[in-house]
Amino acid sequence: MTSTALRRFNPYWMLVLPVTAAVALLYIAPIINILFLSVTDPQPGLGNYQKLVESDTLIRLIWTTIRVCLITTFFAVSLGYLVAYTMMHALEGQRRWMLSILMISFWISVLVRTFSWLMLLGRTGLVNETLISVGVISDPIAFVRNEVGVLIGMVDYMIPYAVLPLLANMRGIDPRIMSASRSLGASNLQTFVRVYLPLTKPGVIAASLLVFISSLGFYITPAILGGGKVLMIAEYISVQLLVTVRWGTAAMLASIMLISVLLLMYILNRFMKLGTIFGGDVR
Amino acid sequence: MQDKRFMQEMAVEAATAFQAGKMDRRTFLTFCGLAGVATLAVTTGNAEAAAKEIVMWNWGGQSEACHAKAIGTPFTAETKIPLKFDTSGPLQGKIKEMVDSGKVTADVCDADGFDAIALGKSGHLEPIDYTIVDKKRIKEGFALEYGVSVIFYGYAFMYDTKAFGANPPKNWADFFDTKKFPGKRSLYKWGNGSIEGALLADGVAPKDVYPCDVPRALKKIKSIKSDSIYWGSGSEAHDMIVNGEVAMGIVWQNRGKSIEEDSKGRYKMVMNEAIAMPGAYIVPKGNPAGREAVMKFINTAMTVDAQLTILDCLGMTPSNPEAFAKIPAGLQPYAVNSKENIDKVIFNDPVWWAEKGGDAVNAFLDAIG
Repeated sequence: MTSTALRRFNPYWMLVLPVTAAVALLYIAPIINILFLSVTDPQPGLGNYQKLVESDTLIRLIWTTIRVCLITTFFAVSLGYLVAYTMMHALEGQRRWMLSILMISFWISVLVRTFSWLMLLGRTGLVNETLISVGVISDPIAFVRNEVGVLIGMVDYMIPYAVLPLLANMRGIDPRIMSASRSLGASNLQTFVRVYLPLTKPGVIAASLLVFISSLGFYITPAILGGGKVLMIAEYISVQLLVTVRWGTAAMLASIMLISVLLLMYILNRFMKLGTIFGGDVR
Repeated sequence: MQDKRFMQEMAVEAATAFQAGKMDRRTFLTFCGLAGVATLAVTTGNAEAAAKEIVMWNWGGQSEACHAKAIGTPFTAETKIPLKFDTSGPLQGKIKEMVDSGKVTADVCDADGFDAIALGKSGHLEPIDYTIVDKKRIKEGFALEYGVSVIFYGYAFMYDTKAFGANPPKNWADFFDTKKFPGKRSLYKWGNGSIEGALLADGVAPKDVYPCDVPRALKKIKSIKSDSIYWGSGSEAHDMIVNGEVAMGIVWQNRGKSIEEDSKGRYKMVMNEAIAMPGAYIVPKGNPAGREAVMKFINTAMTVDAQLTILDCLGMTPSNPEAFAKIPAGLQPYAVNSKENIDKVIFNDPVWWAEKGGDAVNAFLDAIG
């Protein structure tokens, strides 16, 4: 090794070597196996992928998944922005309380939260019973067992995922910039729209990406709150693996999801440095 | 070998966690792939496991205690071989994965008739040895080459007596008639029972239900789409009814009695035209305990005593004709093969489901989505 190469070699890389090796062995290899399965089962060839253009079912399935995920992302990030913004401008003590509540909801199992929604919003749930007893409505409102129910459950679950990157981003913004904007004659609204909002753009994009990608794999929430009528990719893959035993179709859908996520990140990377987004550094 | 077992257990754990929503899809597939890769890497398993135990692969819940009491106790008393359980649910895909991986850990699976046909055909099962299993103990026509219908269960529906007490629904035509019987309906998510019920409702004669005219059935199901919700597990079906989410709901017949009790008699089950499903005990190819021990086990499950204990404990109906007559009076209304129901139910055709079930389930999912 030449002296420059030696100088460039950082011994701390050795610390991440075990993780890198584990990822290569435990993650990359199985993914190759799944890609392989998608072009070999039941027959070698691209038959499974051909179904994507031939089968209306699959096209509808993918469209449902994308639609549900986009709506979830929109609402989770919008509501999450409000929460993060409020937290940033709350007093230190209040902020700590808010963060604790956020983290507790972040840690509660998705199953528990899904069933809680069922109890609250079901036909004979608390909300419907109350509304009926005070005479606002005569028939229960169908909040759950449909797409609305799925969206309520998913947005609720995803809000902490949106708040955390936004919070990290907002913390990195120097408050003196806003003061400068106000001192130069901008109104509150102008300061927010033209100064603060653009500065939080990396946070919004990071939160949206995180929420959208996590939403793609949702299984339990659509299965329960959708009443069987909102079929998303994860549940369909599970049915093809376990019930109809069409592993090729399952592997194909899994591969498509993986490729789409990678493609999504690649495209975004063309427009902005993803590193800065996840690094949380505004500059 | 130990490694491989670890991989397999990890995959099973991962599947459980994934289904429970505790693990995301990507991690789950990683584990699946991991188990697959491990299988390729470790090609030789050990085949010399002796028949020191029988591992029964069932669906957990009550069934573990019930199977132990009904079959395990007499079997162990006779052979000295203990019975153990894997309660993760032997779905077709899981059985196929287990046999393909070369490391078979279960001896007998509490599966469906159509699983016996489909997996038998694809070479994943041991044929049943009818020199050990007594054919006379099995309902005629259900001693399959690769499986024994030890019990029957059924798809029946329950209705709200508060809504329809004066003029109760009597058949599938009433179930699908939301004008005469307004209210929500709950159906099984993966098509079984719903497809047959829809055909009967549409005027197909019971003897002509198979082969199923799937497009015709789906048209009927779509006609109540806005009023329908779907369940994926027995407990979900139970909750939908007991919580008053539906006016009528399809259930697994063996849960009917406990739902009637839980709802304090508000919901009643209709066994007329119920779809009787042959449950099948099947043996994964290369099962660890060997053929003889597991065949003896299946034969024990067919004894009248074991059959009546399962009925009492799980609500699953006997298959042994000798046990039909001994069904206690209190359980007669709920049992598929009791004197009062046996001529009213329609027996599922496992051959049709084995061949066309995959397409039917996918078409069904498309129709309700």
